[in-house]
Amino acid sequence: MSGVCDRARDLGVFQSASDDGRIICRCEEITKGEIRRAVHDGMFNLHEVRRFLRCGMGLCQGQTCGKLVRAIIARELNISAAELDDATARAPMRPLEMEIFGREAPGI
Amino acid sequence: MMNTNTADVIIIGAGAIGSAAAYYLTKKGISVIVLEKSDYIGNGGSSRNGGGVRQSGRDPRELPLAMYGVRNLWPSLSDELGMDVEYCQEGNLRLGKTEEHLKILRGLTASCNAGGLDMRMVDAKEAREICPYLSDEVVGAGWCPTDGHANPMLVTLAYYRAARRNGARFITGVRALEIRKVRGRAREVVTDNGVYEGDTIMLIAGYDSRVIAQGLGFDIPMSPFLMEVVVTEDAPPMFRQMLGTAMADFYGHQSAHGSFVFGGSSGYEAYCASEGTPTSRSITASSVCRAVLGYFPALSRTKIVRTWAGWIDECADHVPVIGRADEAPGLVFGCAFSGHGFGISPVVGTLLAELAAGEATTLDISAFDYDRFKAKI
Amino acid sequence: MTRYDLIVIGAGPAGLSAAAEAASHGLSVAVFDENARPGGQLFKQIHKFFGSKEHKAKIRGYDIGEELLREAEGLGVKVFLNSPVIGLYAGKEVAVNLNGAETARFRGDTVVVATGASENMVTFDGWTLPGVMGAGAAQTMMNINRVRPGSRVLMLGSGNVGLVVGFQLLQAGCELAAVIDAAPRVGGYGVHAAKLARCGVPFYLSHTIIRAEGDDRVTGAVIGRTDAKWNIIPGTEKHFDADTICIAVGLSPSTRLVQMAGCEMHEPAPGGGRLPVCDEITGETSIPGIYCSGDVSGIEEASSAMIEGRISGAAAARRLGFIDESEFERRLTGLERALASLREGMFAPKNRGKTFEKTDEGFDISVSLLENGYLSDAEAVRYPGVKTLPGVHPVIECTQNIPCNPCQDACPKGCIAVGANIVSLPAINESAKCIGCGQCVASCSGQAVFLVNEDAGGGYATVTAPYEFIPLPAKGERGRALDRAGNVICDAEVVDVRVSPAFDHTSLLTFKVPKSECGRARFWKRGERL
Repeated sequence: MSGVCDRARDLGVFQSASDDGRIICRCEEITKGEIRRAVHDGMFNLHEVRRFLRCGMGLCQGQTCGKLVRAIIARELNISAAELDDATARAPMRPLEMEIFGREAPGI
Repeated sequence: MMNTNTADVIIIGAGAIGSAAAYYLTKKGISVIVLEKSDYIGNGGSSRNGGGVRQSGRDPRELPLAMYGVRNLWPSLSDELGMDVEYCQEGNLRLGKTEEHLKILRGLTASCNAGGLDMRMVDAKEAREICPYLSDEVVGAGWCPTDGHANPMLVTLAYYRAARRNGARFITGVRALEIRKVRGRAREVVTDNGVYEGDTIMLIAGYDSRVIAQGLGFDIPMSPFLMEVVVTEDAPPMFRQMLGTAMADFYGHQSAHGSFVFGGSSGYEAYCASEGTPTSRSITASSVCRAVLGYFPALSRTKIVRTWAGWIDECADHVPVIGRADEAPGLVFGCAFSGHGFGISPVVGTLLAELAAGEATTLDISAFDYDRFKAKI
Repeated sequence: MTRYDLIVIGAGPAGLSAAAEAASHGLSVAVFDENARPGGQLFKQIHKFFGSKEHKAKIRGYDIGEELLREAEGLGVKVFLNSPVIGLYAGKEVAVNLNGAETARFRGDTVVVATGASENMVTFDGWTLPGVMGAGAAQTMMNINRVRPGSRVLMLGSGNVGLVVGFQLLQAGCELAAVIDAAPRVGGYGVHAAKLARCGVPFYLSHTIIRAEGDDRVTGAVIGRTDAKWNIIPGTEKHFDADTICIAVGLSPSTRLVQMAGCEMHEPAPGGGRLPVCDEITGETSIPGIYCSGDVSGIEEASSAMIEGRISGAAAARRLGFIDESEFERRLTGLERALASLREGMFAPKNRGKTFEKTDEGFDISVSLLENGYLSDAEAVRYPGVKTLPGVHPVIECTQNIPCNPCQDACPKGCIAVGANIVSLPAINESAKCIGCGQCVASCSGQAVFLVNEDAGGGYATVTAPYEFIPLPAKGERGRALDRAGNVICDAEVVDVRVSPAFDHTSLLTFKVPKSECGRARFWKRGERL
């Protein structure tokens, strides 16, 4: 979400839902309920939810769940998912063994 | 109060220390507005951070703060904030491979001992008893058993969450442009979203603090310095210590989650273009990997899942500026932490809250005065 | 550091096309791809492509891939396989995990990012059970790894990916329990849906999966009808036995490299992915000399991706002075025309989300096709490709305006007319005489062309239909004829089986049905006599 965001915004009382136990981030096994609770704890965007819960921080780096998590956050905040920024894209694009990352080849 | 732009204290910067200060202020019943330029809480050094809660290796001026925090604040922080911040107090091993390295480590140990810290040299055998995964090349280490590490993102967000629950008002996406005096006191924070007013203005905005303070005629000698980190996939628990080396070629730890977080350098960090968002450079991760594998060959197949970079607000004398700005009553500095602010964030938050409350500070902070920078000759 | 005139990231249709185009103008080009085989998704595409000759229509994806690769390598392009790109850093520096063995760094004076797209997911209870997978993953298992993903599959999503993969699942010998979509209408080409429906696959539109069942793997699923707000209507639950659930709910551009490089991104579309800001023609991003081609800059077909790649390759050549402005313009003219024609019709990117009541020609769109996956008997006869004529003649059940015309080119006698506008519905030229060669049947990528002889003698009619299943029936084999909805309507004897290299793996099955059924019988199925 770009722009001014007052975190004092009242989201009302957290209401648990029947699908709160559903896993959303498979790599880190984070559930929908945990994500919803994090929003109620003040984590109003994908960056903060990721840092708070680790969802999207596992092997796939959120490539599967990123959109799903964004949609859950948006719904909880009652805003459009389009208002929420993507997670930052960081190297490596695929998980990479330390010995390979550390072994530098001459140019070809 | 909620809907106005006025509070007892306006904090510029919602990082670990800004959020901690906000938390301790609200505990004292003092109203707070925290202004954050980024769209995200803790998006500067607080989320780009190696997570060390270290006393060893600190400047003698800073050591008392670190020791106070480790004794009095860190052990109970998770309970205090109502969530696990992954504090792990299992010591710091600073590794050496050569006699030259051991000499450096002995000097460091002596300096820490002089400050009253329990730190000692261990031989290769004892080092391996502490951490069995060390390479055979390690010949000795400096050992501080009371050091540790925690999760900087969780610490920041836990302070934020607790302060928010206590009524602190955090506003992200607001850039402080200028601090203005009113009748001789620093009182107004002019932002790109209107003016905020407080009896106390706290400047805890990393390197941006320099730019903002310049508007009031203060110039804190610090510059942005890039740091880069690699994070691995999670691995089974291997070691609990915070790790460093005599050569400072890498540092890091294994998090509660199982991933390793390793910081390091390629040697060009002081010369990076300092515009905007910090970005990883192509050569650094490889350099960090080589450095780590030189001490921990067992990690060779462990996968890096991400790399990131952050700015350090590196002060000319490598210790922070903390305290009241006497020339602008109402203004309080908390900046220039030089890459080791996280470990002292609870204690600095506590001290800043005391300053704003007009209380005597728990620890002497005169060494961190803004006006200490004199010509060298 | 080794520097190339152009570094291409991704050896799919867009990337290989960009590489070949640039190399043809004299640029030194390196292509990096993480897969063991080049071609991106092309090698999974065992179906024939749509479009016209210039789009390589009626050629199967893997053949297009081979052709592109030969072209690129013939022009001196270096293709590095098994080499995932680690990152795109400042200064157009590309770090690569070379052969899964070491880290190498290269600089490109220009870079084309052609990283394609990845599959979207939806969640429902049980979605993490083994057996739930992306349709694209199932396609990789079948067509690359030659492993059947399951035996009885539910397909969620009726877009082209769901429909095409659904058909390939049938070809691989799986049962397709149903195609389900939360939308009220079939999302993909009607001809793709019709191929499935006539094999007996039911369509459940306005339905979604409520839960996957099973303890340690999928054993079934429960679906339910959705209301206008996507909520399940109580009492509409329906159970299916299935061991596999394929998810085909759209693709998202794989933009991480572009984002890492710092290219400016568009505001995301509601519910959609975030796209890089690109020059409309060349795909150049906000960073001069970095281009995006193919799905990474917006989801389209592989045919469009290949043209976009060519244009980006030519733009790189112009930027580096290998060709001048006028040569670039000359090259661009043909490519832009080809791209524009692919972007016409009901399924064009500009028409996404629109519903059409009538074709360009003014014919009513088949409601049954959109809601059930097949033309009703009454609707079928309204289109210009469906005529009753003496003797053998083509019947073309092509009822939506899509950019495709191989049927017109296939007929040596001029029986079929699409016209200059390739999205027009094919019409039968009644004055031309069909010789029954079957080229039109085999050329139709949508398998929507049949040869019908309404009076083959003895009270029988014959229907010649495309057939892409094994084993092939033998001439004389008796089975059943199915109608467009997949219902068995009568016994049917195979009277001819034609196989020809010119048909490219599409066999032509001619079967005999009572005269009264010739307007309905559209598929032949092995089975006991009724």
